[in-house]
Amino acid sequence: MHQSSAVVAEQIVADRLSALLAGLAQSMDYPDLDWLTQEHWSWIKDLLDDLGWQAERQELPDTIDDDFLTALQVEYTRLFINAIPHVVAPPYGSVYLDSEGILYGPSAEKAKQFYRQQGFDLVGPNDIPDHLNHELRFVSLLLQDGRICEAEQFLRQCFHPWFGLFQDRVMGETKQPYYRVMVQLIKFFTKEEEEHDS
Amino acid sequence: MTVKLTRRKFLQSATCAAAAVPMARMAQAEQPFVRQPYAAPGSFAGTKSVCGGVCEMCFWRCQLIGKVRDGKLVKLEGNPKSIDNGASLCARGNAGVKLLYDPDRLKYPMKNIGKRGAPVWKRISWQEALDECASRLKAIVDKYEPQGLAIFPHGASAKYPMNFFEHVVGTPNNSEASFFQCRGSRDVAYIQTLGTPAGEEVDMPNAKVIFMLGTHLGENVHVSHLKKYLKGLENGAKLIVVDPRFSASAAKADIWVQIKPGTDTAFLLAIMNYLVQQKKYDMEYVEDFGYGFEEFTVGIEHASLEWAANICDIPAKQIKEVADMLADNAPNVSIHPGRHSSWNGNDFQRERSLACLTGLLGAIGVKGGFVKPKNPKVGRCSWPKVAHPHEHALQHLAEKYPFSPPGTPTDLIRETALTGKPYAIKGLIVWGQNPIQTIPDPALTVKMIEQMDFVVVCDVMPTDITMYADILLPESCYLERYDYVKKGTQWDYSQPHQQYISARVPMVSPTAADHERKDSVWIVNELARRMGYEEHIPAKSAEEMVETILAGADLSLAQLAAEEGIHIQPGVDPYGTQYDVDFNNRKLIDAGFPGVPTYIPVPEPPKGFARLVYGRLPVHSFNRSQNNVWLHQEMPRNPIWINDEVASRLGLNDGDEINLVNQSGVKSPSSSILKVTAGIRKDVIYTAHGYGSKNPQMHVAAGAGLDDNSLITQRAVDPETGTHGMRNNFVRIVKGDTVLDIPG
Repeated sequence: MHQSSAVVAEQIVADRLSALLAGLAQSMDYPDLDWLTQEHWSWIKDLLDDLGWQAERQELPDTIDDDFLTALQVEYTRLFINAIPHVVAPPYGSVYLDSEGILYGPSAEKAKQFYRQQGFDLVGPNDIPDHLNHELRFVSLLLQDGRICEAEQFLRQCFHPWFGLFQDRVMGETKQPYYRVMVQLIKFFTKEEEEHDS
Repeated sequence: MTVKLTRRKFLQSATCAAAAVPMARMAQAEQPFVRQPYAAPGSFAGTKSVCGGVCEMCFWRCQLIGKVRDGKLVKLEGNPKSIDNGASLCARGNAGVKLLYDPDRLKYPMKNIGKRGAPVWKRISWQEALDECASRLKAIVDKYEPQGLAIFPHGASAKYPMNFFEHVVGTPNNSEASFFQCRGSRDVAYIQTLGTPAGEEVDMPNAKVIFMLGTHLGENVHVSHLKKYLKGLENGAKLIVVDPRFSASAAKADIWVQIKPGTDTAFLLAIMNYLVQQKKYDMEYVEDFGYGFEEFTVGIEHASLEWAANICDIPAKQIKEVADMLADNAPNVSIHPGRHSSWNGNDFQRERSLACLTGLLGAIGVKGGFVKPKNPKVGRCSWPKVAHPHEHALQHLAEKYPFSPPGTPTDLIRETALTGKPYAIKGLIVWGQNPIQTIPDPALTVKMIEQMDFVVVCDVMPTDITMYADILLPESCYLERYDYVKKGTQWDYSQPHQQYISARVPMVSPTAADHERKDSVWIVNELARRMGYEEHIPAKSAEEMVETILAGADLSLAQLAAEEGIHIQPGVDPYGTQYDVDFNNRKLIDAGFPGVPTYIPVPEPPKGFARLVYGRLPVHSFNRSQNNVWLHQEMPRNPIWINDEVASRLGLNDGDEINLVNQSGVKSPSSSILKVTAGIRKDVIYTAHGYGSKNPQMHVAAGAGLDDNSLITQRAVDPETGTHGMRNNFVRIVKGDTVLDIPG
């Protein structure tokens, strides 16, 4: 049985989006030369070029050196881990969605339940389910499996309600254009689009 | 003009960069997900009870079970098998869940690339953190000798690092807050009087009278401690509470003695003198077990009821009433030794007076008296004592504080660090303690820190002290680790005698993808390896350490798990153990101190000031409870108690927002609300300790309430023990920009 060309084309789009979201999730890990290679850096720059995001492209250095890596590490710590006066943007959904700004709140359990219903479980028994990178990687896995509707449902129900608030904090506070660009890229590749974008 | 593509158009384009995502380096094993067929949960699916937890929201350490659903701890309860706290758990204990999942918790080792006090954090690997800690500490030891290091530990997990630095590396400069800012003077005074530390070992359930000096049970909550107290009251015990404030205990008292703070020893001496003069003491016990009684009676004969009444600002007849009530019910009286005893710098004498009064009433080893439990024996697992640091102990070199509790008096460490005499102290290890909020004169502590070559702090939360670390290490909390073996007996000795042994085990996994916290045994072992002390490591892991301790009682973690977390065995009758009473202590005389308990006056409030006194709240007062959302909502700020007549004269009302300023002009950095009450003396202002964190990383606690320690800048040090006295500071009220004198 042959799949229609439209279905094939749709899966190509889903595969590309899957790869992109995995790449962006990787790009939001703690900066480390294990993954932040010149190859990865070139990919980010090429992506911005392909998108025509020249202003954003020009904000990033051409290559990664030790000083830049250290600056990214310091900024990552300040934005997402611990900082004086406050960690700027904890990368967990329930901090934004649930009362008291709590970690592992009801909305995190909702995300975990979604993972389970789609046949996925977190490797770590104590992992906080609604970490930004987990959610992006989960959507990537759904798309890879061709479960496009489920991916969109997850984004709508679990991801969009908090990502905008997270993005605002990063955009407003970060001292590193890299993170501003990254959250814009994530927004671009996860936002709901009109049925017939032109 | 740049035309921005839509997502779909971009993804459809042939040159899409998505095709070239360089993911090869991300190994499959690092994926946070595994594929697993979905199984619809039943009503109890995934929920289990984990037995064997031991609480550490405070240091009473109740035994817990955790309700764990789907890997997440959802509820804590007392372990119903416990013969200590039973199924009960206090508010703090219940709220431990919120500590575990506090978003402000420390997550990764971090390096301060800013300044101490104004840190800029950079996450680093454990490898880098441990390498740097080991090399910097080793360099200090090589240059300044081991005594060039100081450690400020607190809590169960701090014992392992404390013993490593003291017994293996070899520094004597160990300042435990639990001794030098809490109960050290109490336990040493009891050792010098009865030959044994006090603990809180009075048999309240079976007492005819319970006598408490400053102890405010009900606000200070330890579950089995409260059970003992309340059982005693339920059984008909009379209650005497001596407190300048109408505390939760005073509210239940038959006699409330509203004493002037700092004068308690005079009150006790008058009671004892009255008992001696009236021959209302236990002559048989004193004859059999008392030493130096003749000198004692001569030494306190000046302490008439009127003399004490004048000093203590209470009626002489009330002192007589208390003494008669004690004598009439002796020996079945509980003279409570208190717990936090670092009050006024004359604390050793007060605690010795309490111990002497206990002996004078013969209230030792009998129902209702001072009775120590017969605890079960367990094994030991600690660092070997290969170093001999005590020849460099500052109290020995300075020939001061001969009755210091274990470790080194805090002020000697600070002064030595600042002067470099008699030697330099250039490395600081802080483990689970927050010296900025526990040690008087925090500005001096900061000065001490500033002159250090290296500062490492290990903690669970970003407390104030963490802002001063060069390297900050994140520790697993008490719900995620093995460490403490808890043992004891049933709390009511009228019940069948039983002993229990339990061990702290993790309620949930300590590992997760979004943090890298470690337990103290792992951290210190890694440091020891890097510093060249690997051969002395006593346990490969925290789990092995606990197994070794349990093996001493022929137990194991597996056995405890099979016994629902607590092993219970037949106990031993604790009654009948009698202690000698050193009424006139020769060792004290030889060291130049009074052999007989002596009242030493403390500074009076200057005109316009009231004495600042602090205590506990049942929902707070600990480092670990400070940023807890549940507890915070119960009591967001610490009310500042002021006498109603004083408030009226100052035009102040209940609920007013105020600050305090002390005798040295130090103003509290944050404010709190006024509690106007008739239940406090006019010359005293009271609040609860532990509020007003200055670290903005603590989203809940930062600036919430008033930090009493910020106002404790005038230091007092107990001359016998070197422990701090922290209630010799005096304050005025600041409302808006106006400083208000306290009327005399």
